[in-house]
Amino acid sequence: MTDTIIEILNDITGADDGEITPETELFEEGILDSFGLVELLVRLEQFQVKLDVANLTREEISTPAKLAALLG
Amino acid sequence: MNPFGSLDYFLVLLIAMIAPVVRGLRGKNLRGSTLIVTAVMLVLIFDSPARLLTLALFWGWQAAIIFCYLRLRARAPQRWLLWLALALSLAPLLAVKLSLWVAPLRVISLLGVSYMSFRAVQVLIEIYDGYITELNFLDVSCFILFFPSVSSGPLDRYRRFAADLRRVRTGEEYRVLLQNGLWRLMTGAFYNFVVGNLIWQFWLSPLPESGFWATLSYMYGYTFFMFFNFAGYSRMAVGVAYLMGIEQPDNFNCPFLSLDMKDFWSRWHISLSTYLRDYVYTRFCMAALRKKWFKGRRTSSYLGYVLTMLVMGAWHGLTPGYLLYGAYHGVLMCLNDVLDTQCKGFKKFKKKPAAAWLLIPVTFHLFSFGLLLFSGRLI
Repeated sequence: MTDTIIEILNDITGADDGEITPETELFEEGILDSFGLVELLVRLEQFQVKLDVANLTREEISTPAKLAALLG
Repeated sequence: MNPFGSLDYFLVLLIAMIAPVVRGLRGKNLRGSTLIVTAVMLVLIFDSPARLLTLALFWGWQAAIIFCYLRLRARAPQRWLLWLALALSLAPLLAVKLSLWVAPLRVISLLGVSYMSFRAVQVLIEIYDGYITELNFLDVSCFILFFPSVSSGPLDRYRRFAADLRRVRTGEEYRVLLQNGLWRLMTGAFYNFVVGNLIWQFWLSPLPESGFWATLSYMYGYTFFMFFNFAGYSRMAVGVAYLMGIEQPDNFNCPFLSLDMKDFWSRWHISLSTYLRDYVYTRFCMAALRKKWFKGRRTSSYLGYVLTMLVMGAWHGLTPGYLLYGAYHGVLMCLNDVLDTQCKGFKKFKKKPAAAWLLIPVTFHLFSFGLLLFSGRLI
């Protein structure tokens, strides 16, 4: 799942391969903003994945690895 | 009795907190004492038969909608039912806001209606999303009518609140919570009663009602007054909630150190801005992206910002000043977004330590001007 998330993030943000790693701080580094997160959520729906963002803090989803862990 | 508004209130509060604090220090469950204290304090805050009746009718209305929708949701997942439930839930709030313009509605007045309505709306949305499948009447009543935050927030989230309400801490865990709660209560009182009152008495009150320099001075004074007054109330509310074992979220985080408006809205009235982000902006943008409403990739984001900030302005009231304040912040958020996405150098610049010397004052002035619109002094 981590690889899928990174692939989607590369596509959304236009980041080069290798720029986003499983431990990249997405919000702190300015890679992901509120709209980027929305785009990520919509793309993840293709995989039948739903994330309860309203009850998660930014800290809980701050890296691709943390996101993947939450999604199982 | 105004919440946190008089010495009487604090004396009653002191007595009311004895049971939760003693039970907390003994490592006991605080749910029962929290429910009783909330009920007693509500009777004292809404201290006339007319006010109590209005509160009872309001809560009866919201409870009927919430529990009917909870029962219907399992059998009828249609979205239009959610819209209907939301419209019914928001009807009292709309009536109160419209009472400014519609004379017959002026009989309706209810302290804290904006906060209580938004809490009810949050419960309805989470029922629709399937995150809330069962509700305890007393828990949801306590959540929506929770007395420390009934009039000035913060806006908590139901599942987080209910989990805290039922959580049993050890005496040692509660002792830490008690210390943090008392610290917030005392600093909140200092912000509000000392700093806020000094600004009001010696800065804002003596100012002439018109004139460029008086208005400029008012803009700065009002900005600091709003922060110390509002952050003070919020801190006191959060502090009292802590004493009852409810770790309500803090509502402010050094907002005047923000580097841009996006940063600012993650630091000012945090519980309202994150509420609107999660339940208005995110949902609007998700719907727009799923159904491909717009051709431009970020069009939905821009419209989402304007919509979200207009809702924020209207939530405060339907006067021109509040609506203009909302529209102004919607435009600022869009401009911030354009800078972030179209000017690659801006993001890099923001990360430089020296940038703070320029960006912090600019953001502060942009917000201060917004508060001047909010104050209604210009209109």
